[in-house]
Amino acid sequence: MTTVESLSHFAPEIVLLVGAVGVLFSDLVFRDKRLIGYSALGVIVVSLILIKALSVSEPLSLFGDFFLLDKLTQLFRVAALAIVGIAILLSLVYSPLSKLYMGEYYALLLFSAFGLILMSAATNLLMIFLAIEFVSLISYVLVGFLKADKFSKEASLKYLLFGSVCSAFMLYGMSLLYGLTGTLKVTEMSTALASAQQPSLVLTALVMIFAGLGFKISMAPFHMWAPDVYEGAPTPVTAFLTVGPKALGFVVLIRVLSGAFTPFFDNWTPLILVLSMITMTVGNVIALSQTNIKRLIAYSSIAQAGYILMGIATFTDLGIQAVLVYAVVYAFTNLGLFVVVVATSEKVGSDEIKDYAGLARRSPLLAGSMLVFFLSLAGIPPLAGFIGKYLVFAAVIKEGYYVLAVVAALNSVVAAAYYFKVIKTVYLQPPRDEDALPCPWPLRIALGITLAGTILLGVMPNDLIEFVQSILPLS
Amino acid sequence: MPQLEFLIKCGVYGLMGLGIIAAVGAVLLPNLFHAGLALAFVLVTIAGIFMSVGAEFLGMVQILLYVGGVMTLIIYTIMLTGRLGAKDVRAQNRQGIFAAIAAGFFVCWIGPLILKTGAWPQRESDSAPPLLSVEDLGMSLMTEYVFPFEVLGVLLFAVLIGAIVIARQDRPS
Amino acid sequence: MIIPLEHVLLFSLILFAIGMVGVLTRRNAIGILISIELLLNAVNVNLVCFSRVSEDPMAGQMFAFFVIALAAAAAAVGLAIVVAIYRTRNTVQTDEIQLLKW
Repeated sequence: MTTVESLSHFAPEIVLLVGAVGVLFSDLVFRDKRLIGYSALGVIVVSLILIKALSVSEPLSLFGDFFLLDKLTQLFRVAALAIVGIAILLSLVYSPLSKLYMGEYYALLLFSAFGLILMSAATNLLMIFLAIEFVSLISYVLVGFLKADKFSKEASLKYLLFGSVCSAFMLYGMSLLYGLTGTLKVTEMSTALASAQQPSLVLTALVMIFAGLGFKISMAPFHMWAPDVYEGAPTPVTAFLTVGPKALGFVVLIRVLSGAFTPFFDNWTPLILVLSMITMTVGNVIALSQTNIKRLIAYSSIAQAGYILMGIATFTDLGIQAVLVYAVVYAFTNLGLFVVVVATSEKVGSDEIKDYAGLARRSPLLAGSMLVFFLSLAGIPPLAGFIGKYLVFAAVIKEGYYVLAVVAALNSVVAAAYYFKVIKTVYLQPPRDEDALPCPWPLRIALGITLAGTILLGVMPNDLIEFVQSILPLS
Repeated sequence: MPQLEFLIKCGVYGLMGLGIIAAVGAVLLPNLFHAGLALAFVLVTIAGIFMSVGAEFLGMVQILLYVGGVMTLIIYTIMLTGRLGAKDVRAQNRQGIFAAIAAGFFVCWIGPLILKTGAWPQRESDSAPPLLSVEDLGMSLMTEYVFPFEVLGVLLFAVLIGAIVIARQDRPS
Repeated sequence: MIIPLEHVLLFSLILFAIGMVGVLTRRNAIGILISIELLLNAVNVNLVCFSRVSEDPMAGQMFAFFVIALAAAAAAVGLAIVVAIYRTRNTVQTDEIQLLKW
């Protein structure tokens, strides 16, 4: 489709970009800085409405072939906007952010939503690289946004150095792929790659691309940055980072693997299989000893990436469906946890788990929500996390990867141990002081959305599963 | 003209050799200011290699953007963060041997694969491959590649805002 | 091409390896950023050379062009962060700021 024809389908993104610039300049007008946040929320809502109004049934190739608007993109552009929307709701309450830079902050959040959407729609190595760097560069800045906080800056530098090296490796892999196939279009690569003289060079390129994408999804051994960055970043940004780039990283991984590397299926599945087991084990075992809630969730989210990788390892239709469902479910659950974390840290002033003692008496709503989210992460029915785990395990067992299934099951037990440790602190230990914890309305909305997602997707998963089934096979 | 071709060949190999020596310097020189200059030298040799393989546009972009822009930025930051070439500051950590092994392994792994791959997908006709002129590149940036080009513009705008916020010194209020 | 493709590829591979050594051994954040520029330049040499033999020569040169632009953006963000850290901590040595425990 030509550029001009494409623009009408691109309206939600254009609104997002114009809105981002508008939000940036609204800083000059609004005396009350909360209004900037509200207008950013408005931009997200308008964009979501436009997506709903413009939904198409047939896959469209916009702007030449740089933006593939298929059902997968449709699902994840809604997800990207929802994730950033909730991050904005959290930011409205989160007080350590400097009031001086609110316009820039919300503008950057909206820009990163645009970057996430580009990631979901990229089928060309150039666009994949551009979209990933788009999200990464803005994330580096957002992580360092606490101007007075030294740890925030350190996290930002660490994130940047690690991320740049990983994307340099990914680029080297991409350049080899371009040399081997003569094209940048992922969907046109598989024939040239299948007849390549040197399969081992193709696999080398693939491993190097795993380095770049593994960084985004915090796959071991590219996860080392995650705990420090998640702890040092402003909490709303942490919430965004643990779900946004991660979920979209999986989408890119699926597109690259299904487009270009299906001929080499037998070679890379064992690799993913092993990495999946390492990722979940590393995440869960280290999480056991954490005393800071943000760090605990960081390691837990590394482990969750390991579970999602199980679906990638099978790479059957069922496996890919499991990955997509799990990614959506995980996004709701993890964002919900961060709502509780922000609400608590606003009143308590720390993120240490011991300060969560007696949360149940101080705020039954927050404690109850936390319980629901942790149970969902642990995969207890009838919550949404169970559906994700169930599909992933089904895909793995159907393909006969019993070792992986056993390792994942053992890991779930370990994970349950540290989830329940937090829940025990929240419900059984006496509170230090009895003051009620307030839950301002932005957090109530965020909590409402995430709770609804976590419970409803668990009780009635059929709509989501059917939609995901209609996505496959990818063109 | 075989003599001329031989001379050009020598020139390109010479550029590569100089580039590698300068790269080693950029990585190992204890004084960061010298390392920055060595990097600038590597960038210039690479611009030369671009030109020799017929990518004049990229050669110019390399010099303008990299040598002119990025290098200025790096040198400026080195000056700003001070302690230039102080003798007591070690430049390397103690992972040198480990790093050398990793790099050696990397070269020994991919090098043979590159050498063994005899047939990269060559174009069919042996007749002189079309050199891309600056005009071709400009046209395709404005037509076929207009979408990534615009996205790049948005990205640079966003990054500029971010970099200013991060680096700016807050006035004590 | 004037010289065999393989030779240029080996050159870029060695450049990449040297950059790797720098990333792993430098203690100073600016030193690491310099090494990262080496890595990206190695990639660009690859892309430009492949574009000389590829079916779609435009793609390779365009990719290299975007890599250069994004490298500049990444350097801008990286150096901004370095300056900000220097302001609060008076150091940019990565192990003095407890970073990079790899």
